[in-house]
Amino acid sequence: MTETKQRKIYDKVSKEKVEQKLIEIFGSENVTGKSVDLYPYSYDMTECEAHMPDFVVLPENEEQLVRLVKYCNTNAIPIVPYISGNNVGGLTIPEKGGIVIDFGKKMNRILHIDENMMYALLEPGVTFGQLYKYLEDNYPHLRYSYPFAPPYAGVVGNAILSGMNNLSCKIGSMGDSINGLEVITADGSIARIGSCFYGKDEADDDSWWCRYPMPDLMGLFINWQGMTGLVTKCAVQLWPNPPFKKTYLAIVFGLEAIAPVMREVGRTEVVDDISAVSIEVVKMAIEIPEPTKIEGEPDFAALFPVSAKTENHMNAKKEILDLTIKKLQDQGSKVILVDVDEFSRLFNLRVRCYLDLPSVVLTLVEYSGLTWFGSYAPTHKLEELIREVYPIFLKYDVPPFIYMKIMKHAHYGIFRPIIRYKKFENEEKIHQLLNEITEVCINKGCIPYKTPVWMTEKMRKKINPGWLKLFDKIKNCMDPNNIFNPGRWNT
Amino acid sequence: MLSIQKGEDLLSITLNNILSFRKDEKEFINLVVNWNKNIIIEILDFYLIEVIFNGNQISFKTNNFDKKIHLKVQLDLQTFLDIAYLRVNPISAVLKRRLRIKGLLKIRTLLKFMKIFLESMKMVAANPNLNYYEQNKKTR
Repeated sequence: MTETKQRKIYDKVSKEKVEQKLIEIFGSENVTGKSVDLYPYSYDMTECEAHMPDFVVLPENEEQLVRLVKYCNTNAIPIVPYISGNNVGGLTIPEKGGIVIDFGKKMNRILHIDENMMYALLEPGVTFGQLYKYLEDNYPHLRYSYPFAPPYAGVVGNAILSGMNNLSCKIGSMGDSINGLEVITADGSIARIGSCFYGKDEADDDSWWCRYPMPDLMGLFINWQGMTGLVTKCAVQLWPNPPFKKTYLAIVFGLEAIAPVMREVGRTEVVDDISAVSIEVVKMAIEIPEPTKIEGEPDFAALFPVSAKTENHMNAKKEILDLTIKKLQDQGSKVILVDVDEFSRLFNLRVRCYLDLPSVVLTLVEYSGLTWFGSYAPTHKLEELIREVYPIFLKYDVPPFIYMKIMKHAHYGIFRPIIRYKKFENEEKIHQLLNEITEVCINKGCIPYKTPVWMTEKMRKKINPGWLKLFDKIKNCMDPNNIFNPGRWNT
Repeated sequence: MLSIQKGEDLLSITLNNILSFRKDEKEFINLVVNWNKNIIIEILDFYLIEVIFNGNQISFKTNNFDKKIHLKVQLDLQTFLDIAYLRVNPISAVLKRRLRIKGLLKIRTLLKFMKIFLESMKMVAANPNLNYYEQNKKTR
C-alpha cells in the first residue's frame, strides 16, 4: 500500500479534530478514515503514483460542502472531487492527501430536464448510464452524447474536463455544451454561472438555458481539474433524438490514408461523429488481446454514425458520404465504406460495443492498467503523428492502439494513443513508451487533456511565460490556500 | 464434431464466425467432414486466404498456400455483403463479374462451396438472434 507523502496540512488542526468536524458536517455514516476504505481512492488505472487520502466523505447537499470548504480553507486541508474514478489521468489521486469528496454515491440526482430548451440539470454524481436510461424512459425524443466510457462514468466530470462524445463531429468538445454551473469557491460562497445567474437565492429550474453573453466565468472552472472550486450543479445541453440512425464503417488501407478520409468526411457536415482506430484495436475488441497486423490487412477502421429525421434525409446524407468516399478513391485512397451493422454480423458482433454507447468497451478495461496520451490535435498534422507514433509502439513491442476523432466538422481533432498493461508488472516500460509518445505529440502541437501531473510538467516547459503567469495568478486568486485538488498542473 | 480454427486476421475471424454458425448442424457437418478441399478466397483490396477442409477440421492460411487449390474465389467486400443480405444472387454476381471463380467447371466442388459458404453467410445475415440491439434491449 502506498503511503501518503509527507506534508504539513495538520499543523493547524489535529487529524482527530478534522474527523470530528467531518462527522459533524456529514454524519458518521458518510465519513471514513479507515485505510481499507481509503485505498480504492488512492490510485486509478494509470501508472500515476498512488497517494492515500486521509478521509473520504459522501456529501448529500451543497450546504454540507459549503461548511467543508470553509473549514478546509481555514485549515489548509486539500479537497479532491471524485465521481467514479474512471478518468485516465490520475485526476482524482490525492497528490497531497486530504479529503476526497465522493459525489458518486449521494449527489447523483438528475434535477431537471428542460424539454423546451433541451438541457439537463445534473448533480456531479450522475452517470452516463443513469442519464441515458432516464432520457430513454422519459424523454425519448431527446438525447445526450456519450464517450467511449462505461455507463458508470460521470457526465459532469467529462463535460467540465472537455471530454468528447459520439456527437463530437457536430458539437465538438463537451466543454462547449455546458449551459451553466453552480460552484463553491474557496471562501465558501456559492456562485451560479450562465443564464442561471439571476436570482439572489435559488435559480429557477428553467433558467439554465445559455452560457452567454455575460463575461464567461465558466472558463474559471472548465478544464481546471477541480483546482479552482467545487462544481455542485451542471447544466448540459441535450439534442433532438432523430428516429433514423445508421453507422457506416470505413476500412482504410495505408497508415496515413485515414487522415484525409477523416478530414473530408468531417467537412461534409453529415455525420454525427468520426472515430477511427488502428486495426489492432478492432482485433482487441474481439478478444485478441495482443494482436499483430498481417500483410494486406487494412490499417485503420473509422466509424461514422449518421442520424436523420426521415428516410429521405438519411439517403441524402448517405449520398453525400458516398460522393466524398468516391472522390477520395479517385484521388488514390484505398478506402471501403460499408454498413457496420451488416458487416459486424458477419465479422463479429462484439465490435458493436463501439456503437451502443455508453458501454463497457472490453478493449479498454480488460487489463488492470490503462494509460494514454489523450490530446486535442491539429488535424493537418494527423499524418505526421500517425507516422511517428505507430513505430514507437512497435519499438516497445506493444500493439499499436491509436484512437482519433474529428471534432466540430474538422476544425480540430483528437489524437489519442492508448496503452493497456498489467499493473505492477511492466509499468516502467509502459511509462517510458508513453513518455516518448508524449514528447513527439507535444512537439507537433498536440494539447493533452485530463492530464497527469508529469505531463503538465512537460507542457509547462513549452507554454509561453505569459500564459503560465496568468494561470498562476488566477489559481492563487481563486484558491489562495491551495486546497482545491492541489498538485494538479504542478500547483 | 467439427473443429474450426480461430484465426487472428480479419478474414479468418470473419470466416470462422460464419462457418461456426452452423457447426452443430447435422447437414452442415455432413457437407464439410471429409470434403478435403483447399479453397482460396480473395476479398479485393484485402489479401488471399486459404480455407483448408481436412477431415473434421477447417483451418486458414494467409501465406505459404498449398500447391493444390480446388477452387479460387474473388469478390469485393460489398459483393460479399450483397450476397449475404440477398441483394444479389451468386449467379448474377458471376455473370456481372462481381464474383469470379476459378474452377467453375468443377461443378460438384462449386455447388458444395456454395452450400457451405454462401448459404452460411445468408443464414448468419438473416438470423434475427444476431440483432444485438433487439436481443439485449432489456438488459442493456
